[in-house]
Amino acid sequence: MLVIALLKGVPARTTQVVEVGGVLNREAMDLVLNPHDAKAIEAADFVKRTVGGKVAALTMGPDMKLIPLMKPLYASEVSGVDEEYILSDRKMAGSDTLATSYAVSLGVKKLVDMHVKPLEELMEMVRRAGYSEAVKSRASELYRANLLPNRVYSELPSVHDSIIQRFIACEITAEGAVAELEAVKAHVSKFIVLSGIKTTDGETGSVGPQVAEGVSELLGSVVPHATYVDDLYVDPGSMSISSERMIGSLKQKMTMRLPALVTVSTDYRPRLPLAASLYDVRGNGYMGKVLAAVKWTADDLAADPKRLGLSGSPTIVGSGVDVGKPPVQKVVGSTLVFARDVPASDLGGAKYGPFSKGDLAAGLPEPLLSKLQADGSVSPLQYEMLPSELFG
Amino acid sequence: MTDEPQGVWAYLQHNKEGLTRDSLEVLAAARKVADKLGHEVVGVVIGYGVSPSAKQAVEYGADRVVYVDAPEYEDYFNLRYIDAIYGAVVEEKPYALLFAANELGKDLAARIAYRAKTGLATDNVQLEVEDYTNPALGSFKDLLIQIRPDFGTRLARIYTPRHRPQMATVRPGNFAPLSPDKKRKGKLEKLEPEERDYPAKVTEVVELPPPTPDLPGAKVVISLGLGILKDGSGRPRNPREAYDLAVGLKAAIESRYHLKTELGATRALIYAELKELEGLISKPNQVGQTGSTVKPSVYFALGISGALQHRVGMQNSGKIVAVNSDPNAPIFKIAHYPIVGDLYDVVPKLIQAIGGQQAA
Repeated sequence: MLVIALLKGVPARTTQVVEVGGVLNREAMDLVLNPHDAKAIEAADFVKRTVGGKVAALTMGPDMKLIPLMKPLYASEVSGVDEEYILSDRKMAGSDTLATSYAVSLGVKKLVDMHVKPLEELMEMVRRAGYSEAVKSRASELYRANLLPNRVYSELPSVHDSIIQRFIACEITAEGAVAELEAVKAHVSKFIVLSGIKTTDGETGSVGPQVAEGVSELLGSVVPHATYVDDLYVDPGSMSISSERMIGSLKQKMTMRLPALVTVSTDYRPRLPLAASLYDVRGNGYMGKVLAAVKWTADDLAADPKRLGLSGSPTIVGSGVDVGKPPVQKVVGSTLVFARDVPASDLGGAKYGPFSKGDLAAGLPEPLLSKLQADGSVSPLQYEMLPSELFG
Repeated sequence: MTDEPQGVWAYLQHNKEGLTRDSLEVLAAARKVADKLGHEVVGVVIGYGVSPSAKQAVEYGADRVVYVDAPEYEDYFNLRYIDAIYGAVVEEKPYALLFAANELGKDLAARIAYRAKTGLATDNVQLEVEDYTNPALGSFKDLLIQIRPDFGTRLARIYTPRHRPQMATVRPGNFAPLSPDKKRKGKLEKLEPEERDYPAKVTEVVELPPPTPDLPGAKVVISLGLGILKDGSGRPRNPREAYDLAVGLKAAIESRYHLKTELGATRALIYAELKELEGLISKPNQVGQTGSTVKPSVYFALGISGALQHRVGMQNSGKIVAVNSDPNAPIFKIAHYPIVGDLYDVVPKLIQAIGGQQAA
């Protein structure tokens, strides 16, 4: 089973933000892995151990910055990620959530195709070439490229009953092998995509659901999604996922047929992995880890350049806004305010007031102010006056 | 532009009691934008037995309500709701489409925006209508200006100049619901979306009681920050003392003024996970960008320096009283009553002042 974890490199500090025209320049900043993504890896690891398969991490951004962040993930959590893919291209710079989700969806689709195509190739070879050494050597090549599950072909000393091994040993016919490979293909097409609930830089939480929609479009069938999931379990038999999540005050349980996308809440704790069958878990597993991140450019994804980067982004980040107007401040012990209501008074032809209790006395001409202070109408703000100021 | 689409649409959530407070706020936001544009406000309500909510939407500012009322829509199910909303939206291509920036609103809005190939600005604290000129793209008249917290540093304007609808989620706590007007007239239109098969099924929905404390509904909020760990002279203090003072202040306000008072906290204080405050102050108390947005008549900021992420969650409070021993704390820039001093001295004086009136 293909378990895809979506990850993002985010600025390490809010105090060191380099942006040009509202777009973060990730190449000029220290990046860390988005903290919410740790839960996606935990959940991915759990799914891999329940069903068997591999965890592929998919990220997007400048590869030179991301490779050092991604490297430790091979050994993180329990068994870590098995493969890493970085979507990295100048053409993708400045993407908003729509353009990002488009590129990431293409990345997901490419990953799935990458694992389905070898099965189709083998089916074709089995049909055409029959019992030949060529089938075995091609299977071995694909296995070592980490693209075939043990169920199809394996060089593990303990596995002797993979489809291709049984086919070469004449234990099954070509038709039988193709039928079994078809079943594996259907299984591999039931992938799961996991991500954090949001990133700490954009804070939108939009990319998860948008990738589900993007992959739906590319596959031509609906990929369901669940956000804020705090409990999940993939049933290896039906290849469906049961999820539990909090949507506001609603606690919701949802069952989704795979492929599906889940954003994993910070409240997620993996269950104990209860593999239905260790035999199946091993069968669905792959050779091992590929310890070098693979970079994919826009051309590798065959992406429509109009849908990438700034040109593929409907939203534009504009100028900043002042955070509120500075309030009229009253300082306890020093700001002069009216201690009671005072009717209007004339002074040198000008009219002042009337004043209400709590009004600022600043700006009044000196003789009037002294007079008001002398008769106690105006005084510095006292704690005793605060309650009526606040709640009066 | 003569062929500019018309209408400001708002997706409205409801529960057993009717439209939710978040949705009434979205309706108020839609009304504000529509009035500036001279457009109509269209509410979208989906569920089963929702005609009272649809009528309520008119009382609270909608000119027209399109609604889906069918048993299969009784429980919230994202894919089915998305199809229904998207179906209504493509048919009429509104100028703007708003959602509440809560889990449910975001669950729907993101996927709809992708399907419509338009932009989505999330968590807006303000919406405006202004002309916009971009050197590369040209001039746009009466554009929706979406204002949301930017990464850490500021509030930024987000524009969606070339795509319609302009989609935004509105952060709860930033717009006041309009007062209901029973006499307002509006058109109700029932939609009958075609039923489809989905590769997912909602198996159980339980509505949990509203979270405690109810920060958005409080008239007075007393919040604590990491500053409570020290007194004015810099000596460490047991944060429990500050908590007790806050509880004392809350009790004094509640008994004297009968105003609903809740305790809040900054993200920094909650993430510090102090054992002295265990079980007393936790995640539901958090005020700020990742917690609740509050708009009480009076907000007490005790030992809070006032990082932007905290300020966006409380800056619209009626009156802000800030107590901090650091005269340069940013919170003082937005406080109406800045008190530079030791909160362990000041809060007892406040309590005394309130209690004193009670005695008189």
